[in-house]
Amino acid sequence: MLLTTAALAAFCVLSLLLGAGDTAPMDALAALFGRGSEEATFVVHSLRAPRTLTGLIVGIALGCSGALLQAVARNPLAEPGLLGVSAGSAFAVALALLLGASAATLRVGVAQLGALAGCLCVLAAARLRGVGDDPVRLVLAGAALSGLLIALTSLLLLVDQRAADEIRFWVIGSVAGRNLEDLWAILPSLLLAVALVLIIARPLAALALGERVAVGLGHKPWLVRLLTVLAVALLVGAATAVAGPVAFVGLVVPFAARALAGPDIRRTLWLCLPLGPMMVIGADIVARLLVQPSEMPLGVLTALLGAPVLVMVVRARRLPSL
Amino acid sequence: MSAHIERIAKLASPPGSAVTAPPGLWLLRLGSDRALLVDKRALLAALALCSCLLAASVLSLCLGSVALTPAQVLPALIGKGDAMAIFVVQELRLARVAAGILTGAAFAVAGCLMQTLARNRLATPGIIGIDNGATAFAVASVVGIGVSIAPPALALVGAATATALAFGLAGGAGTRGYRFIVAGIGVGAIFGAGTQFMLARVAIDVANAAYPWTVGSLNARSGSAVATLAAGLAVGMTGALALSRALNVLRFSDSVALGLGIRVKACRYAALALAVLLSALAVAVAGPVGLVGLMGPEIARHLSSRRGVPIVSSALAGALVMVLADLAGRLILAPVEVPVGIITAVVGGPYLLWILIRKPAVA
Amino acid sequence: MQAFRPMRFVPTALLALSLLASTAASARTLDTGYGAVEIDGQPERVVTLYEGALDAALAAGVQPLAAVTTRGADGVASYIQDQAGDLAIVGVVREINLEAVVAQRPDLILASPQLPREQYQLLSRIAPTVVPKTQTLGPDTWKEEARLFAQALDREQEIEDAIAAVEQRAAKLAETVEQNFAEDKTTYLVRWMPQGALIMSSQLFSTGLLSAAGFGVQDGDLVKAGRPHSDPLSLENLSQVDGDWLFLATLNEDGRKALEAAKQSPAFARLNVVEQERVVPVDGQLWTSASGPIAAQAILDQLESVIERYESTAEGR
Repeated sequence: MLLTTAALAAFCVLSLLLGAGDTAPMDALAALFGRGSEEATFVVHSLRAPRTLTGLIVGIALGCSGALLQAVARNPLAEPGLLGVSAGSAFAVALALLLGASAATLRVGVAQLGALAGCLCVLAAARLRGVGDDPVRLVLAGAALSGLLIALTSLLLLVDQRAADEIRFWVIGSVAGRNLEDLWAILPSLLLAVALVLIIARPLAALALGERVAVGLGHKPWLVRLLTVLAVALLVGAATAVAGPVAFVGLVVPFAARALAGPDIRRTLWLCLPLGPMMVIGADIVARLLVQPSEMPLGVLTALLGAPVLVMVVRARRLPSL
Repeated sequence: MSAHIERIAKLASPPGSAVTAPPGLWLLRLGSDRALLVDKRALLAALALCSCLLAASVLSLCLGSVALTPAQVLPALIGKGDAMAIFVVQELRLARVAAGILTGAAFAVAGCLMQTLARNRLATPGIIGIDNGATAFAVASVVGIGVSIAPPALALVGAATATALAFGLAGGAGTRGYRFIVAGIGVGAIFGAGTQFMLARVAIDVANAAYPWTVGSLNARSGSAVATLAAGLAVGMTGALALSRALNVLRFSDSVALGLGIRVKACRYAALALAVLLSALAVAVAGPVGLVGLMGPEIARHLSSRRGVPIVSSALAGALVMVLADLAGRLILAPVEVPVGIITAVVGGPYLLWILIRKPAVA
Repeated sequence: MQAFRPMRFVPTALLALSLLASTAASARTLDTGYGAVEIDGQPERVVTLYEGALDAALAAGVQPLAAVTTRGADGVASYIQDQAGDLAIVGVVREINLEAVVAQRPDLILASPQLPREQYQLLSRIAPTVVPKTQTLGPDTWKEEARLFAQALDREQEIEDAIAAVEQRAAKLAETVEQNFAEDKTTYLVRWMPQGALIMSSQLFSTGLLSAAGFGVQDGDLVKAGRPHSDPLSLENLSQVDGDWLFLATLNEDGRKALEAAKQSPAFARLNVVEQERVVPVDGQLWTSASGPIAAQAILDQLESVIERYESTAEGR
């Protein structure tokens, strides 16, 4: 835990020092201590700092939501992106664009509503039918739902070309150019989600031992699940609203956290706090450096990073059930 | 039809003695010592679907921006009558209806095979990366990255690449093809991200040119790809029908299948290969048309009895869905055409949700 | 066909040819993107499947029967709506409704250079279909396209006049710009997005006109050859487009709102050109989608008013 936190701190500093621009790492360092050139100070304070902060928050939100979703679905493959949650957000955003919003002024609520709807659909399907014992079914349901939502998004784009032009940049996810105001806008929902997580962490751990154990300890499984889904929707919606859909963070981070921390959901969640931002910020640094002076979209990089992990999870001799 | 035909090799009793068919089946005598058992409901369902498909095709030939009566369409089919009618019917609509029937049938049969294999009605080729691979390559061809091969050919290459990748990463099909399916979803996600990336990099006009390849459309598709699909569908249907007996048994547990002397593994690989072949060829013609692979078999299963794997009815139902969806797409916002993939998504979406929420996900 | 080819690049020969053609509409062979196309007489039922073709046809004085919509609208682009009047819509650029084209019973179809081969094969059986060869970007490809369409329409003189009018007007504007802004005319055309800017190539129709009108259009070596715009430029490098003028192409017509949205970004707001208030929001429909003589005049209208507006401030300085 200490080690990972230290590593995260190092990533954050790197994220402040490196970029696609001309500002050299040493200049940026000087700017950090208030002695850099005017240009470097601007780049570090107004561009890279908000960006790093956004990465931090998006990473925490996505990492934790993955861990929660996997715990409640008892499925190591339950990932917000795979389950149609991100597609739900994207659809909602496309709808908002169609109704006249512009990507720059888009507010968080829309994306969160979409995420909640997508999340509920899949989990309702999974829960109602008790397919928790079969990890792949849930993923299939998610993939089917994602496909549907993407097609519906295409329909909206057919109707409105302006939305089409904006959304093709939005759908690949990025943490660049986000204002601190955007972060303020998602703060309430993040705090709410954190409160929810604090409440449900203990019952969730009990639930992992089995429904009967949880009931025996005085918890209500359905309530725990409902609250978890709500927390996941809040987290994913917030992250998607600021950064667009960033794929696979919710899969890779809990996977790594479990490998380090063992099966206890509470320890996994704690570890997700530093690991999530590490992945997002790390990928963002690479995204900045690969194609200077332009930037790669963040979502493409996380997808490249995440798909092998997905295959690894599946190739493990026995699918671990949570 | 033979999916629902149980062959009785030699009737044990001498000719003329009374062999009665089990309830729900018809006994069809072929000569003196052979007979066929035909599933009544399946046969009726197939006939009903056939007549619906015929009606839909005729409608599709008549309706559109140029409205024609059946009395104009029929002469035009054999090259008589008004020159414009002949052109519209023969060159535009007939090709389109044919492409619709073939792609619909191919998607639905591929879906039916995959669903049977995974014992899950949500497991359709569309979601395991074949579509995404084909789309990514076709879009790459349109936006002009790399060589200038025509989009349909490159879509085929893309579908093959995605399948090979998924298969290689999964290290085999795995139980019920699960490992392959999940690896396919992962590969699909990567190709999807790649497509989005390409679309974001090019001018909106070029992105527009690539648009039909991202949603699925039957508007002016390549004739050679349709011909390839027709050949592939002939092979695929034959293969699927040959496998149908084994697949009937595979729906139950592996041990039952083994007990009945079925080579489970070989059968599974063959079914998977056929499903991939059919959907790859169909995607090369129409692009990624969503949910036909889900709806076709589902309708077929509703109509036919639960006794067998409804391959023929699936093909017919898939074709029907496709032709109707294309017709609707041409009429709804006329003169602007709505791509067929969007119609199937809008119609199939609620259906999918209904399956997700109401029914057990077991096929 | 071989005999005609060199003439397309020799204006005097072309002029002679067009004079000949206008006296007696004769059979002519066009060198198009899909090979030679024979056209006889003066087409009367024209369908345009490309914004540039609609523009060229109207500029040549031909009223097309039908056209495709511009992107982001239900009809043709707003700059040309008045001239176009009431014409039928036969689809959107990316999905042409072939049956609707047939229903118009055209005798000439003018299409976009991007028309797919499958669609060409069907269209060319409806009527002679003219697809320009231009596959590469260039500030003058619109003239080439317009001349090809004019040849098909048998209205070459009209198009030559229209092109000449555009060139003369641009040259006149260039003189004004040279007088008033000789020292400060570095110009960029960008599209703004929250995560960065897209720099438009200097080889586009609109940037070509900007150059012709005396503005020093740059793309900062950010746009790869043959590409219409750059990848989204990192915000850290936004100062690379900090010239004397910034034309901001918007997607909808409300340019002011787009400018406000861009100003939300601190990296944009601190640009010198923004502080100098030399950011000009322009209609993306016209500036990044249209082409042709009428569109050129519309863009020059806008440039003229910009120059007039800033002329006074330049004198006051």
